[in-house]
Amino acid sequence: MGEPFDFHYLLDYLVKLVPTLQMTLLIVACSIVIGLGIGLVVALPQLYKIPVLRRLSQVYLSFFRGTPILIQLFLFYYGLPEILKLVYVDVSKVPALYFVILTYALHSGAYLSEMIRAAVGAVDRGQVEAAYAVGMTGFQAFTRIVLPQATAISLPVFSNLVIANLKDTSLAFSLGIMELTGKSQTLAVMSRHFVETYISLAIIYFVISYGLEKLFHLVERKLLRHERQIVSDEKPSRYRKWKQRRFALSPGFGRGGQENEA
Amino acid sequence: MKLDFGFIWTAFIALLPAVPTALAITAVSVFCGLIIGTAVAVIRLYKVPVLYPIASAYVTVIRGTPMLTHLFIIYFGLPMLIDGATDSLGLSFRSVSIPMIGFAYISFSITAGAYMSEVVRSGLLAVNRGQIEAAYSIGMTTFQAMRRIILPQAFAASLPNLSNMVIGMLHGSTLAFTVSVVEINAKAQIVATTNWKFFEAYLAAALLFWGLTFLIERLTALAERRFNLYNRGGVS
Repeated sequence: MGEPFDFHYLLDYLVKLVPTLQMTLLIVACSIVIGLGIGLVVALPQLYKIPVLRRLSQVYLSFFRGTPILIQLFLFYYGLPEILKLVYVDVSKVPALYFVILTYALHSGAYLSEMIRAAVGAVDRGQVEAAYAVGMTGFQAFTRIVLPQATAISLPVFSNLVIANLKDTSLAFSLGIMELTGKSQTLAVMSRHFVETYISLAIIYFVISYGLEKLFHLVERKLLRHERQIVSDEKPSRYRKWKQRRFALSPGFGRGGQENEA
Repeated sequence: MKLDFGFIWTAFIALLPAVPTALAITAVSVFCGLIIGTAVAVIRLYKVPVLYPIASAYVTVIRGTPMLTHLFIIYFGLPMLIDGATDSLGLSFRSVSIPMIGFAYISFSITAGAYMSEVVRSGLLAVNRGQIEAAYSIGMTTFQAMRRIILPQAFAASLPNLSNMVIGMLHGSTLAFTVSVVEINAKAQIVATTNWKFFEAYLAAALLFWGLTFLIERLTALAERRFNLYNRGGVS
């Protein structure tokens, strides 16, 4: 199958694939940003135990975590126009990219909401009570006290999710998006140097996800150092407690093969 | 266009024959992945001289690249390797005789192995250090202590992660359609091409996966309860 292995093509394709990195990163960035919004909206009913909405968000979570991303992609790509036609909105001219971003946003939104829920749950209950005690409203207590702490706690999980999302975007080619994998397919078919193309593809993905991992690690260390500084002035035990909480939190979020993939 | 509920049912029935393929891919990749993962985890835990950097590199590289690229590299690269090897050895074996699903098995096992090694490693680390010391103190060798004391406990501890892994591989099995294995996703496509009702076909596939995932979750919950019962009886 294909031509014999040629090292020259590896470097050649590496250069040719890099420009399409822009598209991959665009999908990742957009879907993570939108997904964070969705995740927050979905997590809130569960956190505050709002009767009907809570059930709805549970169904949402169960569906998006219970079906493969590939099926979801096809489902939205073929299904959304049909559904929107019922309410007389014509989206047949909308590029596939928007559907892809929407699907990835909804998919990672489900995982992100779980992350938010766990992180908020990990913030000490006394913090909220203290906030109420100084006269903050529920909204103020959430945005000023709980959210910043929860952000710090959830960073390792967030890094995992972003990297899983990056790797999941390799499926967008199935809807004809010209991101890294889609481009590599066209390159491979044109020259029939399949292995070289996919190895250079793997190298690019690896470099990006490795870089992201290191970057998040850096941010995390920064947050950790900050926490330690504050704590060492007052109570030495809180840093350790925070760290324990963090470790207790992280293993539940393996996304398996893709992800998770994960 | 209205939603054709009748066709969702028809598609659902048509998809059922593809379920064993998806489950076979999942089972094989999880099983082989578990073996590879355990070996890699033990190597990394004991820092075996030469193998340690190789194992670390394997885990980092596989976890840093998408599953789809592994599948492509194996699918296109392995036949070249095999044909090259058999040519130089003068054997008559050709890579063409390997069924398509074989590539999916191999590639997904490699993928699962890397993720699984992390699952196993976290499970091994979760076992109390005193356990292995106790095993040594009654005269067990490292291998015996590993097999009889540590691994069963580590397995119980990593059951939730293992279930996530199985679900992940089940969802990952949809990728096999790219190397023309007819699993659920490919079947949905085939069913839909007869009358262009893609939405209904994929809806049926989604429902099928949802059901399967739900089933796996329930089964894990059952298994976990059983293991916890056993643990409480065994420890205290």
